Amino acid sequence: MKAVCWMGKNNVETQTVEDPSIINPRDAIIRITRTAICGSDLHLYDGFIPTMESGDVLGHEFMGIVEETGSEVTNLRRGDRVVVPFTIACGNCFFCKKKLWAACDNSNPNAHLMEAAYGYSGSGLFGYSHMMGGYAGGQAQYARVPFADVGPLKIESDLSDEKVLFLSDIFPTGYMAAENAQIEPGDTVAVWGCGPVGQFTIASAFMLGAGRVIAIDRFEERLALARGLGAGTVNYAEEDGSVLTAIKDLTGGIGPDSCIDAVGLEAHSVELQGVYDTIKTALLMETDRPAVLRQAIQAVRKGGTVSIPGVYGGLIDKMPFGAAFGKGITMKMGQTNMHTYMKPLLERIEKGQIDPSYIISHRISLEEAPAMYKIWRDKKENVTKIVIDPWLQRAA
Amino acid sequence: MANLNEKPNAEPLPRQSGASIILNGRYLPPPEDEDGKLWVRTSALVQSPPQALYALWRNVELAPLWQEEIEEVVITGEKTSRWTMRSDDKVITWDSEILADQPAKRIAWRSIGGDSDNAGEVIFEQAPGGRGTYVIVLQEFRMGKLTSAWETLTGRNPKQAVIENLRHFKALAETGEIPRSQEAPHGKRGLIARFKRSLYGESIATPPGTKVA
Repeated sequence: MKAVCWMGKNNVETQTVEDPSIINPRDAIIRITRTAICGSDLHLYDGFIPTMESGDVLGHEFMGIVEETGSEVTNLRRGDRVVVPFTIACGNCFFCKKKLWAACDNSNPNAHLMEAAYGYSGSGLFGYSHMMGGYAGGQAQYARVPFADVGPLKIESDLSDEKVLFLSDIFPTGYMAAENAQIEPGDTVAVWGCGPVGQFTIASAFMLGAGRVIAIDRFEERLALARGLGAGTVNYAEEDGSVLTAIKDLTGGIGPDSCIDAVGLEAHSVELQGVYDTIKTALLMETDRPAVLRQAIQAVRKGGTVSIPGVYGGLIDKMPFGAAFGKGITMKMGQTNMHTYMKPLLERIEKGQIDPSYIISHRISLEEAPAMYKIWRDKKENVTKIVIDPWLQRAA
Repeated sequence: MANLNEKPNAEPLPRQSGASIILNGRYLPPPEDEDGKLWVRTSALVQSPPQALYALWRNVELAPLWQEEIEEVVITGEKTSRWTMRSDDKVITWDSEILADQPAKRIAWRSIGGDSDNAGEVIFEQAPGGRGTYVIVLQEFRMGKLTSAWETLTGRNPKQAVIENLRHFKALAETGEIPRSQEAPHGKRGLIARFKRSLYGESIATPPGTKVA
């Protein structure tokens, strides 16, 4: 099959690789019909994520048709159309039983790598480094999906792929961010970052009753999409004063009830047993960029909530923790517990409450993916979201 | 692993309190390594009753399904078995004897000759609040420090192997399989792929978990 492979920093290639096969009884093989490039894939492209290896197949947002199932998968059949969550969860462990799917104890075969860095390991992810499991990703024509009896969401209506594809990651991620913001009816919510996750965070904040959403970014095309959802926008690159001033002005001086950091850091930082200190030191220089998080903590009202869907990986410096304590704020964060949100959000799409495909700006073939990684990383061509048809025949 | 034939056998477990983590209400740290002797204690919370976990562990012939690099276990007596381990093309064998066998509670064992000198104990303990079973393993290896350093560089440190084996055991007990990604399709690997595989622990084959996929 054809697949997009990480070949080193700033270097991805579309190559021909072997087809995946059923390995475990709860596996399924999916023939991928649509897949996407995620903002977090750019961290891999930029070489910030340790434990990538040249040849790794990228991609964690994908959907398709069930091609084959293992002996223990009874809820799916060949021909079923499914969206696959980017986190892999077994459904049996202590954490899955608590519906903390992203904390699954059994889905990461390389858990020891993450334990070395975080104390405990989160779930395995598709196409996102060896410390996250070493699973092949979905920017390919086929993928092997472990615990297929738990993860994939069956699509039984005739909704187009583009309308449901983002249930694989960014729509639930934005929704959980809004839920973590503990929004009450009429609340004012500020959202930093109007990329795909920020977009769905804004839409979800309104679904959860926000009275006003303030969206902060520097790219006009993204701010325009946010305004299209009903948000008021602040372009921080154009503000003469600070974002904090703008936010105070817009909230009668009290600050937003909730602030959401949909930006995160440029990098994860994770250490390996043997090279623990080396990697840690090297990465600290890259991870110390929590500018948005600092602003969100400063800006939120007394007793308010800071929600963090943006990815953080290592240690951060100069945190205004006195402000956090002094105002008595709540902070909620973490990888998305995908399995909780996929079905209810599908129902919202089916009812026509939202059409997630509005963020798509580019539709490409697998061969065109390497060039698009660079274009998106460099913020060219007004890219908001890139969707790949892995069967489209179109040369780069 | 090195040839450990000449080392004396490990003494029978338990020493002090065996694998226990609490003694008379106080936390009990794991034994410290001594010259030529490695200890590892590790634990897991498993969503399965102690009886079932005891039965899975006690069925030593099934160990190759969940223990790394164990090729075969043959029952040789009521309490004895012969273990064969393959690491790359190196094969070692040893005999093992069960010292204590309390259904649904505890199993202790030691090697009684052959290429490995080890002893161990596993405890199955109902976790408070109905949240499953604590499985606590204490394992002792007798080997030189040099051997240990070498194993760390080239393969699985025996301490890490005990930790990984408990992880595999837990996955098998909870999900009916052991998660694996070593067979993942991939593009062209680079020059240092072998080194990275070893660094990530991926050069040790994940045990199969089940016989049929």
